[in-house]
Amino acid sequence: MAPRLRSPLLPLVLLALVLGACASPSVSPSISAPASAAPSQPRHVVFPVTLTDDTGRVVTLTARPERIVSLAPSNTEIVCALGACDRLVGVTDFDDYPAEVAGIPKVVIGAQVDVEKVVAANPDLIIAAGNELTPSTVITRLANLGYPVLVLYPRDLAAVEGDITLVGNALDAAGLAATVVADMQVRIAAVQAALAGADRPRTFYEVGLFGGSIYTAGADSFLASLISLAGGDPITGDSLSTAIQLEALVAADPQLILLGDAAYDPSVTPASVGVRAGWGAMSAVSSDRILVMADDEVITRPGPRIVDGLEALARAIHPELFP
Amino acid sequence: MRAAAAAAPIIARRPLGRGGLALGIGAMLLVAALMAAVAAGSVGVGIGETAAILGRRLLGLPIPRTWPLSAETIIVELRLPRVLTAMLVGGGLAMAGTVFQALLRNPMADPYIIGTAAGASLGAITGLLAPILLPALAIGAGTVWLGLGAVQVLAFAGGLGTVLLVYSIARQGGQVPVVTLLLTGYAVSSILAAGVALLMFLSGRALGAIFGWLMGSLAGATWPGLAFSAPILAVSFGLLLLRWRRLNVLLLGDTAAAHLGIDVEREKLTLTVLATLGTSAAVAISGTIGFVGLVVPHVLRLAVGPDHRLLLPASVLYGAALLTLADLGARLAGGIPVGIVTALIGAPFFLWLLRRSRAVRPVITA
Repeated sequence: MAPRLRSPLLPLVLLALVLGACASPSVSPSISAPASAAPSQPRHVVFPVTLTDDTGRVVTLTARPERIVSLAPSNTEIVCALGACDRLVGVTDFDDYPAEVAGIPKVVIGAQVDVEKVVAANPDLIIAAGNELTPSTVITRLANLGYPVLVLYPRDLAAVEGDITLVGNALDAAGLAATVVADMQVRIAAVQAALAGADRPRTFYEVGLFGGSIYTAGADSFLASLISLAGGDPITGDSLSTAIQLEALVAADPQLILLGDAAYDPSVTPASVGVRAGWGAMSAVSSDRILVMADDEVITRPGPRIVDGLEALARAIHPELFP
Repeated sequence: MRAAAAAAPIIARRPLGRGGLALGIGAMLLVAALMAAVAAGSVGVGIGETAAILGRRLLGLPIPRTWPLSAETIIVELRLPRVLTAMLVGGGLAMAGTVFQALLRNPMADPYIIGTAAGASLGAITGLLAPILLPALAIGAGTVWLGLGAVQVLAFAGGLGTVLLVYSIARQGGQVPVVTLLLTGYAVSSILAAGVALLMFLSGRALGAIFGWLMGSLAGATWPGLAFSAPILAVSFGLLLLRWRRLNVLLLGDTAAAHLGIDVEREKLTLTVLATLGTSAAVAISGTIGFVGLVVPHVLRLAVGPDHRLLLPASVLYGAALLTLADLGARLAGGIPVGIVTALIGAPFFLWLLRRSRAVRPVITA
């Protein structure tokens, strides 16, 4: 049981780490020109404002939120990218980016939301995460207590941009949100341009091996869509359990294996993959195309740095195009 | 005649004596546990403030508000329903455990033994996963029936339904032999457990929520949940307390009980349904909390003897106090499932007690 329990958290931890490693808060030179094309005047949000979150919940904010609780590291990164780090009054103990969040009280400890601490923080906006990262029972509970709760659950890169826009509207930072999104779009477009016409190697992203099961990107998952955008053809597991059977993996014959789990488990190395029973038959193993993804954290944390993750994946899948 | 003579001491209404003392201590322990559990938590609220908040909100006393509104929410909306739920669930499980141990004349019996846990788990997990596996049904976690979530309703129905199914399968020619009932319960539970395991495999990120439910947790306790389960448990408590004499007689065995004028089969069914109603109502709002329902009855039998006139109310009081304190420990330990605390602290205490009392025979077969 314990290993399966870890699996939902590890990608998050890894994403956080990768995001940290790839920190590039400033706009990269190549995109500075388009970024200036984004609206330079801060657009003001008129309160009360009514917003619809990623799970279809309708939330009305009567005034500009000044006391924000974030229940996921990705949400924290979005809030801080929108210049509202100083309005955060509660975060999770996984939060590690940007550095300013270190001093903010932790209301999620060991993946458990401490509802008492959330209430004590007296928030006027709570930003939760979907897909049970914030348990749905906790979301219902906080909403029933009368707090505005925005649930972010992006399924792909475009949805992350949508979330940044949504949070921008909630925080009265719509102008900054537009700038951040425009920056991301420029960098995404640059990756797409470089990949034009390139082949799409069959790519297996290893999230982890637990109890004999192999975990990877689920079908229709965020990770699978990111691999596609980075120029790979993702080999996916079951959409719910995200596990893939070894037979299916051998049949899919990956040309490239990316070891996301190697970022936190030093025993997982390209050499260790080569000697796993049954894995020798895969093209990626025989051609020695097995890479450690030290950037797993930014790849799996759906915040503004997700573009760092996209670029890291693209570099791994097409090193020849991204020298 | 011999049976009747042997039975006399355990069906007669004798002065409570030492047992009365145990009940008094239990009641005081429960009140102390209640006060400690409401006053302490992960956020500090002063004892004076806590008392003032409770006086203002519950008794309507004209106390001016000098504390932040968040303190009031924490005490009244979070802690109080949680503490009362712990008391209710602890008392309900301990009482149901007492009844099943007598009814089945089995020291390993607990409230879950003939299928309640497996049925309630399958129901609750179905409720947890329905929005994920079958989004078309639109039964979200926010869906509410009578102020309750799908999880609570399905857990209650699953627990009760499973026991009724087990009972009807085990019935042979109008009789339900205890051994057949136990084995049928085991077999049906195994089938349902396979379903639970399958759903856990398919659960993705909801696995943490499922795991928390299976371990038992009072983190989700709310006033509506309490309002659903409290009346059911109150009826179960009341009707079971009235049947203390019959429980004592059943300890003698089915034949002896029949000779003493008890309609044994009818009585067994009544007791099973009443205890299962209480168990299912408890499990619905807390998950499958282990240990309390197994061990509290044994400890109390060692302390006050096998007479159910004492044993039933004592198990309610001590079960309630134990779970309230265990949940306080769970909260202070960072919100771990309360089932871990009950087992980790309760089991060594039970072992110590077993070693200390030379006559280890838990007095089930009178």
